[in-house]
Amino acid sequence: MAKDSLSEAGLHFDDLNKLRILDPDVSQQTTELKEECREFVEKIDDFQKIVGGLIELVDQLAKETENEKMKAIGARNLLKSIAKQREAQQQQLQALIAEKKMQLERYRIEYEALCKVEAEQNEFIDQFILQK
Amino acid sequence: MRLKTSLLKEPKHKELVSCVGWTSADELYSCGDDHQILKWNLLNGETSLVVKLPDDTYPIDLHWFPKNVGSKKQGQSDMFVITSSDGKFHLISKLGRVEKSVDAHSGAVLAGRWNYDGTALVTAGEDGHIKIWSKSGMLRSTLAQNGLPVYSVAWGPDSEKVLYPVGKQLIIKPLQPSSKVLQWKAHEGVILKVDWNPVNDLILSAGEDCKYKVWDSYGRALYSSTSHEYPITSVSWAPDGDLFAVGSFHTLRLCDKTGWSYALEKPNTGSIFSLTWSIDGTQVAGACGNGHVIFAHVIEQHWEWKNFEVTLTKRRAMQVRNVINDAVDLLEFRDRVIKASLKYGHLVVSTSLQCYVFRSSVISFRYFEPKPDVVEHTEPVTKNWNTPLIFDLKEGTVSLILQCERHFLLVDGGSLFLYSYEGRLISSPKVPGMRTDILNAQTVSLSNDTIAMKDKTDEKLIYLFDALSGKPLGDGKPLAHKIEVVEIALDQGGPAIERKIAFVDKNRDLYISTVRRLGKEQKAVKIGSMVHTLAWSDLSNILCGIQDNRFTVWYYPNVAYVDKELLPKTISEKDGSEYTKSPQIVSFVGNRVTIRRSDGSLVHTNISPYPAIIHDYITASKWDEAVRLCRFVKEQTTWACLAAMAITNKDMSTAEIAYAAIGEIDKVQYINSIKDLPSKESRLAHIQLFSGNFQDAEAIILQAGLIYQAIQLNIDSYNWERALELAVKHKTHVDTVLAYRQKYLNDLNKKETNKRFLQYAEGVEVDWEKIRAKIELELVKERERASTGPLGPSTRSSISLQH
Repeated sequence: MAKDSLSEAGLHFDDLNKLRILDPDVSQQTTELKEECREFVEKIDDFQKIVGGLIELVDQLAKETENEKMKAIGARNLLKSIAKQREAQQQQLQALIAEKKMQLERYRIEYEALCKVEAEQNEFIDQFILQK
Repeated sequence: MRLKTSLLKEPKHKELVSCVGWTSADELYSCGDDHQILKWNLLNGETSLVVKLPDDTYPIDLHWFPKNVGSKKQGQSDMFVITSSDGKFHLISKLGRVEKSVDAHSGAVLAGRWNYDGTALVTAGEDGHIKIWSKSGMLRSTLAQNGLPVYSVAWGPDSEKVLYPVGKQLIIKPLQPSSKVLQWKAHEGVILKVDWNPVNDLILSAGEDCKYKVWDSYGRALYSSTSHEYPITSVSWAPDGDLFAVGSFHTLRLCDKTGWSYALEKPNTGSIFSLTWSIDGTQVAGACGNGHVIFAHVIEQHWEWKNFEVTLTKRRAMQVRNVINDAVDLLEFRDRVIKASLKYGHLVVSTSLQCYVFRSSVISFRYFEPKPDVVEHTEPVTKNWNTPLIFDLKEGTVSLILQCERHFLLVDGGSLFLYSYEGRLISSPKVPGMRTDILNAQTVSLSNDTIAMKDKTDEKLIYLFDALSGKPLGDGKPLAHKIEVVEIALDQGGPAIERKIAFVDKNRDLYISTVRRLGKEQKAVKIGSMVHTLAWSDLSNILCGIQDNRFTVWYYPNVAYVDKELLPKTISEKDGSEYTKSPQIVSFVGNRVTIRRSDGSLVHTNISPYPAIIHDYITASKWDEAVRLCRFVKEQTTWACLAAMAITNKDMSTAEIAYAAIGEIDKVQYINSIKDLPSKESRLAHIQLFSGNFQDAEAIILQAGLIYQAIQLNIDSYNWERALELAVKHKTHVDTVLAYRQKYLNDLNKKETNKRFLQYAEGVEVDWEKIRAKIELELVKERERASTGPLGPSTRSSISLQH
């Protein structure tokens, strides 16, 4: 009964019979809670750390992705422009080829003319020999 | 031929370059939208800033004041004009000081050009005005006002006309206000650039329809290019008028004056806004859209003569190839090669300071010259090519080299110099007031003894000079033709006294005329029409040309002077359609003619070798051999040539054989009768008569005192009045004339109406017996005079007795 009166007065005895103001159970629970809270905080900290790492990683990944994306776009553009460049180059080469073709045609005509001259001269020589 | 281009790695201008201009052969000024005027020294490769223009001045066109103006021969031009987008033009000194800025147009000034003597400047503006300014920048006149901007402008060769484009039209407007304006539609797009060459008088135009075109000064189209990928932004004639350059986006082209393209370059330049040739014509500079200035050298020019091929491999090196043995020689020069010519076994090369003469081992190329150097032929050619003769040039700006068998002519600056192949200066003919810088191979001609020249100031005149003394021939008067002469050429063979000049006039008629006129005026004889190009053989007097699309060879043009009817028989013609439109004869060496077609390809053709051999026989007076050859060949042309040559040289027996061979019986008979004439003078006179020179014939007889023969000559030609005049003047044979006149009138059943004859008929009795006796007496007298000559029996003394 005394216990109860004591408890009513807000005094308690713990197992070691020390006088306590707080109910030992409560105290114990509090301590446990405290413990748990600490653990929780620790866990949260860990979690934050992990998440931070994750975010960092994702950020990094994003950056890399962005980079790659830009690179891809650049490459795609380059590809497009190369196609155009090739076209221009092709055009230039074609112009040069046309030029060479014209030159070739000129040479062909000259060659034909020379062949004709050669034939004429051979004929002339033959005739000359025959008549002699 | 091709262009060797050079571009710096980094552009010197920060913005596009709009214009360039040469001061000398190695110094260029350029300016662009970064307001800088840069000077490019090509000798040391340095580029320096001359001046930076104000920030609001965007230059568009640059042109140097012409050098060699007036008496000031030497020295470089020291001033240039820049036109700019703010409607001004600026006169700027060589050091970059802006001497004067003049408000010229509203809107940009798109072009500015000095005329050739530097007395006037023409500007063209965005406002469509064309304005003429004095040298100091005072407005003289507004030549034209148009509704469209004028992008370019060019002076005519004589600085009397101005060419400019308006939209798609080209307009040639003379400075004289009342003169006719020539205008034609030239392109399908806006015309961006024009140029007009003073040497060949041809016009270039280029436009946004991506084509460039060549025109003559009458507006006839000579060439039109195929369509390019981009608009043609610039065209420019080389100073000598043989080549031109064309610029477009990433494109630089080198073309022949007939339009076909020698070479195409695709440099990384952007659009080439302006092209300018250096003063010696060896390189071209272009103002590029990406801030570069491109330089392009003309290399790999090619010369051919017989078995030698010469190629300019580098600026200072040539390669000589003997195609017979494939021997190759390299020729090196101290300076840049400007002009070269290979003919008659000699290669003449001019650099900026010196003239080199190389001699090939083939020295003799005539048929019958003794060839003591036969042994030499086996020697390596190298020996000859490596020992050139070198001498210093007087001015060092050779614009033309012409060669003949014994000497060569250099047009150097303001003068002409004739050198022997040993390098000795022979003469330097001078025409006062002649512009030598516009002479070309069509307007100057050279033979061993004569130089002929045509001046721009009066194109009807041909100046003739003795080659050895450099003095004008004869009385010093130039040969005058009825209308403008386009092309002249001297023949190369035969003695100096028989030198002939062939020329083509504006109507494309071909004439031949003697160069050394003895005494009376010798008429030019027309021997062809519609002749587009012509050339004499390098050795014998054979002329070839393209006559109205037919390739024609005049084997003996001199026939026009001895027997004009024979002319068609001495000509050989063949179809020239294989040469296409407007071909040019490049060379006529021996019996090989080389023709360049309008597409640039060379076509070779051989002509019959026999006439040339006959020419040589006749030069050596080997008549029998000539006749034998003709019998062997059995060709009408050779016989006809021989006949004409025999008449020219008064070898009547050969003439008789030749005329008989071509079936000209009437002429054979006449020749026979000439052979029977009693005196030398009569024979000479009748040979002259044979060639149609009546006056010469009469003069010869009269000079010999054969009055009766002269009278008879006139009677035979029904030249009654002259016959009577002679008879009365010499108081002899009046009755003879009257008797023949009577007979003639009786034959025709006509009455005498001529007063003089009526008057003399009154006092004279016609007695045929007496007349016959008198004639017989005259003939006896003539025979006695000429009794020294063994003439053989002659019954008829004059053909007149056949009446």
